[in-house]
Amino acid sequence: MGYSLYDWNQALQQRNEYVEDRLKDGSPIIAVSYEDGILMLTIRGTQRKLFDVYDRLMMGALGKQSDIESLRLAAVDVAHKEGFERSPDDVSIQRLVGFSLSPAVKRVYNDQQSIPLTFRAVFAEMSRSPETDHFFILGYEGEFRTQERFAVAAGTPYAEEQAEDVLREAAPATLDEALRAALQAWGTGRSRLSPTSGNGDDEEAREFDPLRDDRRGGDEGPTVSDDPAVAIREALKDKGVVEAAILSRNSARESKFRLLKERDLEAVLADYR
Amino acid sequence: MLNPIARGDFAALLNATSPATLGASAVPRRSADLTSGTSATPDNGLASEPIHGTTVIAVKYKDGVINVGDRRATGGFAIMYDQAEKVLPLDDYTLIAISGSFSRAMEIVRYLRHAFKFYERSQLQPMSLDGKLSELGRVIAGNVQAAMSGIGAVIPVLSTFDIDRDEGRIYFYDGGGARFETADFGAAGSGSTQIRGAFEYIAKTKGPFREMDRDTALREALTLLEIAADLDAATGGAGKILPLAKTITADGIEDVEPDAVRAIVREIVGNEPLAVGAAAGR
Repeated sequence: MGYSLYDWNQALQQRNEYVEDRLKDGSPIIAVSYEDGILMLTIRGTQRKLFDVYDRLMMGALGKQSDIESLRLAAVDVAHKEGFERSPDDVSIQRLVGFSLSPAVKRVYNDQQSIPLTFRAVFAEMSRSPETDHFFILGYEGEFRTQERFAVAAGTPYAEEQAEDVLREAAPATLDEALRAALQAWGTGRSRLSPTSGNGDDEEAREFDPLRDDRRGGDEGPTVSDDPAVAIREALKDKGVVEAAILSRNSARESKFRLLKERDLEAVLADYR
Repeated sequence: MLNPIARGDFAALLNATSPATLGASAVPRRSADLTSGTSATPDNGLASEPIHGTTVIAVKYKDGVINVGDRRATGGFAIMYDQAEKVLPLDDYTLIAISGSFSRAMEIVRYLRHAFKFYERSQLQPMSLDGKLSELGRVIAGNVQAAMSGIGAVIPVLSTFDIDRDEGRIYFYDGGGARFETADFGAAGSGSTQIRGAFEYIAKTKGPFREMDRDTALREALTLLEIAADLDAATGGAGKILPLAKTITADGIEDVEPDAVRAIVREIVGNEPLAVGAAAGR
């Protein structure tokens, strides 16, 4: 039996399903502009998810650790080669993602003999004002799209939309506002994977009443709620670490990237501990 | 495709032109040749090895290290530029003070900045101090060919703040890339030979530099710079343009406030030209 177009289509769908299945449980990456810079936030286990790429460029990704690492190394390499051979001013997110990374990712995706790179990444480039900041979201198939003001990479497209709504409404100005909005968006992206999440048919879900005030999780069994705050509390209880990084508009250093420390996050996390 | 920066292959990244130098022939040749072309082994009648027209000084003080540098860039007998920046940051805690070929030095600094940043971003940890010092040494060693052909020699003085030891450290390099750590001070350039003994005199009479506070150390360093300017034609004085002055402490690199530099310079340089000879009367 020959290899027909139907088989080819099947193979493609299977590959997509394989990757989407693995991305579904990933911890979302939230990126949002504020007055003095750009914030990227996520909750991670032991491995880092947010990285400095160039002076005004940072990235975050969910998915397979090794694929994220290859993407990161390629991005850093390309950016520095360009920055040295030409000038730091010539390193731009459009050329990095659109002309260098996307074709490479697509090549791997097209290769029938290997698994696609399993990731979903957000790239952020800071400019002089929040209106002109650039966000690029790159997918495992090599497709990318640009956004303004904020960007989310989460387990499913629906989760991304939900999280984006939170950010759109919040429109943060200060870093504190950005942290709060980003954390809430993370919880939303983590818990609302599909329109039916939180209303599942299993016993555990029915026992859980989102209107009850004494939510604690843990001894009440696994939570299948769509409440962002619950998702955040659960993640923190489960040894999750909030990883937050900023690109700072007013920094005197050449490299504007800074990983936020525990004490920078204390005030915002107090609500969830 | 290996990134040349990752390989540390500095030679592959340079192109060999050096229009403006910090004084390859800043001083007259012994044979009274008045042409102003670049000479292969410039000398000043005192030193017999090639020298580089500038003076840059690094001294420790109690909070870290202070660097001062003159502002003159010469080509032959012409002063090409009087606002040259010869003390440059390599990263948040490291300053490099350069003497020699200006264009080569700028390329070296640019390369090292990129190399350090690339390392930190790709390896997710900063390069160790020893690694950075070795990288600079390798770059200088790679430059030996150009240095020996008379263009492109660069002699740096590296200053840094060692967080682990909580003290400033100063290193100077020779033409072949060998690294020497100094106890208290370092200087490079044609003017540095003129003032070498004076550092020792100050340390012996006023105490080691590393125990001075910032303004005392700054005054000593600027005085030495002015003496070098008086004795070396290729070193600019502080009368017209303020010399460069930067500090490195546990908080990073800072420019010394122009007002502080100006106040000290005014006292050192003064404004009263001296009358000498018959006109001065007996």
